[in-house]
Amino acid sequence: MQAELQAHIAFHLTGRMPQGEFAALTSSDLQPAIFAGYRDLTSLRYDFPLILARGGGQPVQSLSGLIDGALKDIAAGDEADRLRKHALRIERELRRLVAEGATGSLSKLWDLGVTRVGPKDDKLLQDSLRRLRAALKIDGEVVDCDKTLPFRLFQHLWQAGQDRKAQNFRADVNRLIMKLSDILSAEFVRSKEGLSAERLRASVGAAHQSDFDFDAMSRLLTESSVNVPMPESRRRRVRGLLSTLRAQRFYAAASDGDKGIDVGEPYSFVFEKCSDAVAAYRERLPRMVELAKAIAIARLELESKYSEAHHDAFFAEFGDNGLDPEDLALFPDYLICLGAADLAASESDLILQALAAGMPAKIVVQTDDLLEQSPLGSDYMISGLRSKQLASTAIGLGACYVLQSSGSNLFRLREQILRGIAYSGPALFSVFSGASGTGVPPYLTAAAAAESRAFPAFTYDPSAGPDWASRFSLAGNSQIDLDWPQQRLEYEDAEQQLVSETVAFTLVDFAACDPRCAKHFAKVPRTKWTADLVPASEFLDREPIDLVEKVPSLLMVDGDNRLQKVVVNDRLVREAHRCAEAWRSLQELGGVHNSHAAILLERERKVWAEQAKPAAEAKPAVAETTPAAVAPAAATAAPAIAEAAPERSPDEAYIETPRCTTCNECTTINDKMFGYDANKQASIINPDAGTYRQLVEAAESCQVSIIHPGKPRNPAEPGLDELIKRAESFM
Amino acid sequence: MTIHATECLLRMHDQHHELEDYQSGVPRWCTGCGDNAILAAVQRLCRDEDLRPEKTMFVSGIGCSSRFPHYMKTYGFHGIHGRALPVAEGIKMARPDLNVFVNTGDGDCCSIGAAHWIHAIRYNMNMTVMLHDNQIYGLTKKQASPTSPRGTKSNTTPGGSYLEAMQPLTVTLGVQNVSFVAQAVDWIPEVLYDIISKAFKHKGFSFVRIIQRCPEWLPNTFEPWMQDPLRTLLLTHENGLTLSPNLSKVYKTQERHDPMNINRAREIASLQDPIPVGILYNNPNVPCYEDIHNIGQQRSTRYIKAGLEAEFDKFTIWPQAADGKIQPGA
Ligand SMILES: Cc1ncc(C[n+]2csc(CCOP(=O)(O)OP(=O)(O)O)c2C)c(N)n1
Ligand code: SF4
Ligand code: SF4
Ligand SMILES: [Mg+2]
Repeated sequence: MQAELQAHIAFHLTGRMPQGEFAALTSSDLQPAIFAGYRDLTSLRYDFPLILARGGGQPVQSLSGLIDGALKDIAAGDEADRLRKHALRIERELRRLVAEGATGSLSKLWDLGVTRVGPKDDKLLQDSLRRLRAALKIDGEVVDCDKTLPFRLFQHLWQAGQDRKAQNFRADVNRLIMKLSDILSAEFVRSKEGLSAERLRASVGAAHQSDFDFDAMSRLLTESSVNVPMPESRRRRVRGLLSTLRAQRFYAAASDGDKGIDVGEPYSFVFEKCSDAVAAYRERLPRMVELAKAIAIARLELESKYSEAHHDAFFAEFGDNGLDPEDLALFPDYLICLGAADLAASESDLILQALAAGMPAKIVVQTDDLLEQSPLGSDYMISGLRSKQLASTAIGLGACYVLQSSGSNLFRLREQILRGIAYSGPALFSVFSGASGTGVPPYLTAAAAAESRAFPAFTYDPSAGPDWASRFSLAGNSQIDLDWPQQRLEYEDAEQQLVSETVAFTLVDFAACDPRCAKHFAKVPRTKWTADLVPASEFLDREPIDLVEKVPSLLMVDGDNRLQKVVVNDRLVREAHRCAEAWRSLQELGGVHNSHAAILLERERKVWAEQAKPAAEAKPAVAETTPAAVAPAAATAAPAIAEAAPERSPDEAYIETPRCTTCNECTTINDKMFGYDANKQASIINPDAGTYRQLVEAAESCQVSIIHPGKPRNPAEPGLDELIKRAESFM
Repeated sequence: MTIHATECLLRMHDQHHELEDYQSGVPRWCTGCGDNAILAAVQRLCRDEDLRPEKTMFVSGIGCSSRFPHYMKTYGFHGIHGRALPVAEGIKMARPDLNVFVNTGDGDCCSIGAAHWIHAIRYNMNMTVMLHDNQIYGLTKKQASPTSPRGTKSNTTPGGSYLEAMQPLTVTLGVQNVSFVAQAVDWIPEVLYDIISKAFKHKGFSFVRIIQRCPEWLPNTFEPWMQDPLRTLLLTHENGLTLSPNLSKVYKTQERHDPMNINRAREIASLQDPIPVGILYNNPNVPCYEDIHNIGQQRSTRYIKAGLEAEFDKFTIWPQAADGKIQPGA
């Protein structure tokens, strides 16, 4: 026993592999045990491939989601089972096609899939496929979780956002152009030239030309019109606005736009280098300012609210301090797609500067490989440092939307992505594609990076609220309150008995998927599986248990799905420790196991305990006061206090004004005595402006009986006795 | 975030309006007519929401109640009998920026205009519809309407009307895409105002049936309910009406009703005594037709003309073609 332990420890600490004791982990047929079920991705139903849908509706959909949706619509009655079976068959076929490298639109792949899924003369199958196809409703490019996914997905979603923007912009600008032109033409119609006999003749049309004397009409109209001509300065301004609005190049002109004017190609907003985007932005800025200003002035003109005295000075300086976010929002965003691997330090700096300056940019940084050369030696380390650093610095800027995610999670985070694209300020998206070139499917690598916290997902949304609690979210990670996600692993032992255990998926498992990390593992022959081999995750706990004479190990499976145990090198365990540290600080930001909150809670608990003590001593029979019991009492709202009725003598006449229905009965009787308030409800404005009889009659005719006549003020008024009697029922 | 510069400039010149600024002319309704209360509540809403008169439109059909637009100093369209809703829909389609209100009577909406009513509910365009339900044709001097209670003696039914009254609330709640249904009575002004204001704030087709007194032709119909506050069932909810303590003291018959609960709303809708008052149904998630069908294109004269020309061109026969064949292009 002792000899084995020594050998295990020796490898763990030094990486030395004595002959016979271990087998090196060379072939890629060893996978973390949890992955045993994921060997063939094409036989699984999962988010991928995705369809980048064209047209309205959800811009990105998963193939399985689409198939489920179609089945929901058509699978009913006796045929439901058959349709479902056939749907799953074509879905698997499509997944296979995509895995083999087929590309194109859903409709193209579908047609290809139909030819492969089963014989043409299988009538039922063909019938199912036809109906499924009809129920799919959408089409678009099919993308798998691979190296091209991040850019294609982001470009697609960005484009959808820009299209919407362009549509609104065009509608708005076309309206402005139309109304501004109306201002000019209205001026013309009223002018001498507009009222000339020829003009008038042309406007009446051929049928009735002989019925009128247009010269006389023109004379009459010109003489009688009190035409105050438009000031020249306004005419010039309106013309200037029209030409600015028509000459803009930020969006393609509308289909029925002014084709006569050649304004040049619309600008492009997609860039592969931040420096190019920044240069383009600077070059276009004067035109942006000009256009934003024209739109603002045009709006004022249309409301006839442009006052030269007020506005000339304001607009002379418009845009001197850059444009405010609402004005910027009119314009397209710059989409910048970058590969982390060829990100020079200067480019990284520029990105941060552009983000800090509020440039309307959506920057996608794609990382393909998390393994990086360590600066301290020739060894690799797992970090993806550059993109992670960029993301955390961007969060620090405060006003930048930041999203980090691995490619496998992008579909699940689509709402967050869309929010980032729609966000009015800059946004940074950092994505790990999983396409590390190791031969492992990118989806698996990306998913393992997310699961193992090597590349955790998070979003920072400055528009979600004022504080970290509302802005920062760890949604998209599994089991966020744990250091490492845990899974049930079930297998059969040598006696073919079911064994079930919970295993954590750590950074060590992530490394085990990568052939380049093989040297950190040593395979232990089954005969040497001794008790000193404990799961590596136990070494990574916050407060490790007594691990003297223990060695970290990992469960893996070989090509035949046989369980293997490997010893893990100390170097990797240290790296996993660092990864856990980074994850824990993310947890704190996300409000999970927050140390400040924990300290505060502990302090409050002590205070409660202190306060509860004297009470408990005085009245030992009463149940202990817990913090939970205190809280709701404090939260009860104060009882609603009824509005106090104003003090008034029963002799005084009055109206319950808030109940008045504005029926005009009383005001018709005497509008000096009864009058309406600002809400058009009646009150007695002057009790001496009429007789007591009028008061009583008003009370009687008021259908909601809210007039109270009180006592007569003039004792000399005739017939008072009878009136007082009639008034009694309104007291 | 500070306010947008253009917005700020616009506001710089905006004036605030008082209630009288929305009043136009002297209403010719009878003294004591419930329409007066509705007019007061609506003018209060315009003032409180600071609705710009030039951005506000009242549309009506024909009837006493349909004289409403004349008394508002905003834009208005006194349409033809039964057609207030299609006119309002056209306005909303062409000018989604306007605040559109519809005032219609029980004859106007539930009789001659019933077909338009059903479809307007389904289109769910963003407008506030007030059904002035006095249960009679008022303007034409007392003929039974679809909502007249059975036995109503009128010029068309001297022996008393034969049929059970139609219930506008249950009809509305039965149509697909219904999004807002409420009932008010003209004689509780505080609640009337509250309901119209909630209806205005709801995005979609907000249908408010207002039980309206016609002292001229049916002077005593609602007397029993006005005398006994317990015969009014007030619907309260944090997403519906919340009553002032004073009102709560008078109207003690109350039910906490969640306006998202359409099934209970339908049950409440068929109550006639007590009269339910409040928001029966409010679903903010039903899409509006003008949004779904937004073509993203300003309907300029040029655009419409181009469309018409294109249609006409399909049927143009070019005389120079001897064989009478249609020539492509011009
Ligand atoms: C097409 C057409 N048919 C009939 C009439 C006659 N008419 C005018 S008002 C009216 C009924 C109005 O009743 P209601 O809508 O309840 O309005 P109220 O006067 O009660 O407010 C009728 C039938 C008309 N003006 N046009
Ligand atoms: S009679 Fe009554 S309801 Fe009518 S206006 Fe006067 S106080 Fe108001
Ligand atoms: S007839 Fe009836 S509805 Fe018409 S104004 Fe007179 S009271 Fe009002
Ligand atoms: Mg009527």
